[in-house]
Amino acid sequence: MNVVVCAKLVPTGTPTLGPDHLVVRSGVDGTLDPGDEYGLELALQLTEQHGGDVTVVSMGPDEAGQALQRALAMGASRGVLVSDPSLRGADALVTARVLAAAIATTAFDLVVAGVESTDGYTGTVPVTVAELLGIASVTAVRRLEPSDTGARIERMTERGYDVYECPLPAVVTVTAGAVEPRYPSLKGIMQAKQKPVDRPSLQDLGVSDTTVTQIVTAVTDTPTKAGGEIVQGDEAVGRIADLLAEAKAI
Amino acid sequence: MAVTLFWRHARARLEVLRAARPSSRSDRPGARARRELSHVLGQRKLFQKAAPGVMHAFIFWGFLVLLPTIVEAMLAAIDRRWTLPYLGHVAWFAFLQDLFATLVVVGVAIGFAIRKIQRPDRFRGSHMEEADRILLTILGIVTTLLLWNASRIALGIAGHPAGAPIADALSALFGGGRGTQVAERVLVWSHLLLVLGFLTYLPRSKHLHIITAAPNVYLATNHPRGYLEPLRIDLETTDADVRLGASVATDLSRKQVLDLFSCTECGRCQEVCPAWNTGKALSPKLLIMDLRDQVAKEAPLITAGAAGIVELQPLVPNAVADQVVWDCVTCGACVRECPVDIEHIDTIIDLRRNLVMAESRFPREAEARLRGVETYENPWGQPASARTDWTASVEDIRVLQPGDPPPEVLFWVGCAGAFDERAQKTTRSIARLLAAAGIDFAILGPRERCTGDPARRMGHEYLFQMLAEANVETLNGAGVTKVVASCAHCFNTLANEYPDYGGTYEVVHHTELLSALVAEGRLRPDPAGGRGSVTYHDACYLGRHNGRYDAPRDVLRAAGAAAVEMPRRRERSFCCGAGGARMWMEETEGTRINDTRFAEAEATGAETVATACPYCFVMLDDAAKAKGSAVRVADVATLLAESTLAEPDG
Amino acid sequence: MARAWVYAEVTPDGPHPAALELLTHARSFDEAPAAIALGPGATAAATELGAYGAASVYASDDPVFAEHPGRPAAHVLAGLIEDEPTEVVLFAQTYDSRDVAGRLQGCTGSALMGNATSITDPRHARAEIFGGTKIVDVELAGPAPTLILLRPKSIVAEPTGGIARVVPLEADVLEEVRGARIVERHEEATSGPRLEDAKVVLAGGRGLGGPDAFAILDELANEIGGAAVGASRAAVDAGWVPYSYQIGQTGKTVKPEVYLAAGISGALQHIVGMKGAKRIVAINKDADAPLLAMADLGVVGDLFQVLPALMEEIRRRKGS
Ligand SMILES: Cc1cc2nc3c(=O)[nH]c(=O)nc-3n(C[C@H](O)[C@H](O)[C@H](O)COP(=O)(O)OP(=O)(O)OC[C@H]3O[C@@H](n4cnc5c(N)ncnc54)[C@H](O)[C@@H]3O)c2cc1C
Ligand SMILES: Cc1cc2nc3c(=O)[nH]c(=O)nc-3n(C[C@H](O)[C@H](O)[C@H](O)COP(=O)(O)OP(=O)(O)OC[C@H]3O[C@@H](n4cnc5c(N)ncnc54)[C@H](O)[C@@H]3O)c2cc1C
Ligand code: SF4
Ligand code: SF4
Repeated sequence: MNVVVCAKLVPTGTPTLGPDHLVVRSGVDGTLDPGDEYGLELALQLTEQHGGDVTVVSMGPDEAGQALQRALAMGASRGVLVSDPSLRGADALVTARVLAAAIATTAFDLVVAGVESTDGYTGTVPVTVAELLGIASVTAVRRLEPSDTGARIERMTERGYDVYECPLPAVVTVTAGAVEPRYPSLKGIMQAKQKPVDRPSLQDLGVSDTTVTQIVTAVTDTPTKAGGEIVQGDEAVGRIADLLAEAKAI
Repeated sequence: MAVTLFWRHARARLEVLRAARPSSRSDRPGARARRELSHVLGQRKLFQKAAPGVMHAFIFWGFLVLLPTIVEAMLAAIDRRWTLPYLGHVAWFAFLQDLFATLVVVGVAIGFAIRKIQRPDRFRGSHMEEADRILLTILGIVTTLLLWNASRIALGIAGHPAGAPIADALSALFGGGRGTQVAERVLVWSHLLLVLGFLTYLPRSKHLHIITAAPNVYLATNHPRGYLEPLRIDLETTDADVRLGASVATDLSRKQVLDLFSCTECGRCQEVCPAWNTGKALSPKLLIMDLRDQVAKEAPLITAGAAGIVELQPLVPNAVADQVVWDCVTCGACVRECPVDIEHIDTIIDLRRNLVMAESRFPREAEARLRGVETYENPWGQPASARTDWTASVEDIRVLQPGDPPPEVLFWVGCAGAFDERAQKTTRSIARLLAAAGIDFAILGPRERCTGDPARRMGHEYLFQMLAEANVETLNGAGVTKVVASCAHCFNTLANEYPDYGGTYEVVHHTELLSALVAEGRLRPDPAGGRGSVTYHDACYLGRHNGRYDAPRDVLRAAGAAAVEMPRRRERSFCCGAGGARMWMEETEGTRINDTRFAEAEATGAETVATACPYCFVMLDDAAKAKGSAVRVADVATLLAESTLAEPDG
Repeated sequence: MARAWVYAEVTPDGPHPAALELLTHARSFDEAPAAIALGPGATAAATELGAYGAASVYASDDPVFAEHPGRPAAHVLAGLIEDEPTEVVLFAQTYDSRDVAGRLQGCTGSALMGNATSITDPRHARAEIFGGTKIVDVELAGPAPTLILLRPKSIVAEPTGGIARVVPLEADVLEEVRGARIVERHEEATSGPRLEDAKVVLAGGRGLGGPDAFAILDELANEIGGAAVGASRAAVDAGWVPYSYQIGQTGKTVKPEVYLAAGISGALQHIVGMKGAKRIVAINKDADAPLLAMADLGVVGDLFQVLPALMEEIRRRKGS
């Protein structure tokens, strides 16, 4: 089974917005999105058990190469990095188009992504990719096993989980905690340097429309949260309950 | 024939040594020679234990003196009238021979008494029968010698009967006639056969140490014990087979292999090991023995493989279990006790390096800490900006900005000192004391990174290397010449390990600096305030690893503390349990090391346990809390601040 | 035709509560929004949708939508949009609706906005980003309709008492584009979530004084639902709860929506395991405890009074 993993570079600390209202990405310390490590781990386990290769696809600034290196160090076989100045500030649709085009250049049975990214958390990119590729998808997956007709997949629900029969190829998003991502060994990091990384241009991929449809017009700080408050006595209980309600916990 | 046999076995060992990685241990030959004199000839480390020390010294010195006797016996075996040219004719040598042969007998007797009557626990796991056999052989060798000499006296062919009172007395056993003549022949030949037998048995037994101990002591490190040898890692290298620590026998260095062949199974290391003493799987002795057994078993493969590739079994988990490797707190108690200067820590770290860097196999709970160090440059994954949080309640702390003139002393706060709420107290005390003494100091603030000690002791040498290089660049760039560190681990790394990465500074521990400031009168504690009875816990990385024992005690005395000492103190201190990156791993087996140590401190009856390292502080404070004890745990600096400053902590 | 459509998730018990919020919100810029309800129970849900302001409800009870979540719904929506152009389609920010929206975007190529907290008009909305530290106002360009995902409970649903016109839909989903099919459903409501996954973590420390007090936390977790109980190392070491409960330096790392600590002082070794929580509540009788200082809500008081009172309060609120 050949698996493509979508992996994103996210800023290490709290992301910041530049004067153009876009996330500052170049020159900022970044890492492979911790949420994507679960999908990658699942992909690695699948190929270790059933054969096949893992290809990691990323769209982002040059620094996204770091995320790719990390993924390669964990055990992926090769990488595809799409980096183009015109992609700065790309929205979900543009991202999905680019990823779909890049994925289409590989031979794959399964595409694995995170449920939502740590910095943007739109959470729609993977299904949009599936739609553009014209294949099935299951989100919030906690288990996946190949079956006669494709794959048998467990998807998390509010109250438990549903089991899906899914034809392949398909796109799945993997929940945090589904597997325990491995800590790459230094051997892995060294070997990663020898692994191939393709850098196709947008032209190579046949992506011409990179028009952004989502434009941030204003940014304001959230009025400082009620945080850091100390309460005593009778008031306390009501406040805790309010806070639980605010978090939609009750 | 005996010589051939001896040679065959010895050569096998030698070739294994030759196949091992070379160790560069030739610096400062003078220091090495001096160590040879004190540790080998002087038997200094053996005397760390009185009776066994005497026993071993008698036997060892005895054999040194008796070496010429073997030649004498060989000559006489051929012709009874032949003897050594000069020595055979002087009374003093006869006397020495007589005296030392007797001392060896006494030594053997003590040895048996220890083994059979006292039966110390340190021998658990050692080869007892082998040791008995050896002791008996030694006894045989010297009794045949004494009796042989006695028979010669009886026959009137001994050079100096008067010089040898014991043999003289024994000569009464012999009549002097034909029977004695036969006895004399039998005795000299039995003596020689025993000697030769011993020789052939030697290379296969723990008594190989007779040969290996001296070179092993010579090759011991000249660095302070806290120092680890760097393993340079270049990620750009294309060599896929680069060595990342010790995976199989041939990854060990010559010194490491010689260590294995030198172990006498005396168990002194095991006896002091905090891991073993609290019910963990690790015993430094068993670790060395188990590694030795695998190396010995694979010796034919190793020597054959010098030419080509052979399949050696990984040392972990074949020779030692994973858990054993992770149990070590790198306290160095074993290394200090070992009479033949075996360096357990270096081997353990090399095993860890392989597990972490090549195989990514280590206790899971430590992973988040490694990731923290990797991404945020501190084990707790705190933002760099939080490094100055502790300064909020202290006035005028200078945070060194790029381009600023360097301070007289750079205060290296350390991650614990900056982020840990409890350790911050110490940090503030130090800062206030330095300010009160008028010291021109500054901190790096957000530009400080983890020294890399936790990563290095975990075995992640590469992560350490990156941090060391980055920190050295910052320190050198800032023109820093003198550093004061409050964490014993930072202190050790900065002082002993950063020079390898181009960072050479005068590094002092805060207790040293404070003690000097008190001595110079720049800090004037009021001893009348009285700090009650205080027992000081020696941090491994300050004490045993770096020899700093007195400064913290001086500070406490100046602060008006009435010192009470724990049974295990100074160079024999018992670890708090946090060293060797154990701070980042859960302690599940046996009893907790910190609880054990705290109980010892509490038993002194002291009101306060003083520490000089944030790790020790947290460890012992936790133990105190778990026990619900009224004993206070505080850093030396905090106690001094309380006696010196009007407002010690706010 | 309506300017605004609402994609209404349906269950056999009626519409998803978030659908009613969406309708309420849609009415702020469209007097007569339409709702699209797909799957078993859709037609029946139309009454309630109408009562909350849907002028018309496009409904299909075809089980294909329940058996094959996401893809068929998106294709039916895309077909509808082609037939009757509209300006915006609103979705609830739930896993299921999000999947439909993402798919739909692939068909329509229009702008999609996630995590919105309010919508001004079909082309302007607002969202909280970076864990709620910043608010962004966003303009949506591109072909109509825009797709906006609104966070549930961003507003309170208000009924209008209206009646919807029900437009039956023919589900005409080709076999090959149905996608993944649900073959089994499992409910695990009885056993609580894993500590690492729980939305709410209730952690107890040495201040609990013994294993019995952990029963209070268990009960509270049950009452809240989706909550798990954790502990400081001090409580684990004392043997009150097993090691699997331990949160911190040598235990687990949790990032729940709400972290409530009772009788935990807040040593760094504990904090590393929970500092990623969205909201931190600490109950401690010592006003100087470090955890109080870093909590969003610090309660100075005796946990043996606060916790039972909290339980009462939650029961009261759930009851009403
Ligand atoms: C706070 C914030 C909010 C935003 N909201 C919107 C919005 O509402 N609408 C919009 O159109 N844009 C939005 N953006 C822009 C957003 O960054 C882009 O849409 C981005 O390219 C994909 O969004 P995401 O990270 O939220 O993807 P998600 O859908 O959350 O990502 C899920 C998974 O898709 C994969 N993936 C996503 N991006 C990449 C990539 N570049 N390379 C490889 N794999 C990837 C990963 O596996 C990831 O885990 C937002 C950005 C920020 C910072
Ligand atoms: C190597 C190492 C690893 C560690 N790993 C971890 C770890 O993974 N996780 C962890 O949690 N700790 C860990 N620790 C321990 C940590 O240092 C602290 O000791 C521990 O977290 C303290 O637990 P606590 O807050 O429950 O207890 P305490 O510090 O004793 O705090 C109890 C608190 O309860 C309050 N209290 C008491 N009674 C009441 C009441 N009736 N109502 C309200 N409040 C009350 C008190 O005021 C006090 O603040 C580790 C320590 C070491 C050395
Ligand atoms: S360093 Fe300390 S813990 Fe490690 S083996 Fe030696 S004595 Fe034991
Ligand atoms: S390692 Fe040293 S101290 Fe330990 S048993 Fe061997 S010789 Fe003795």
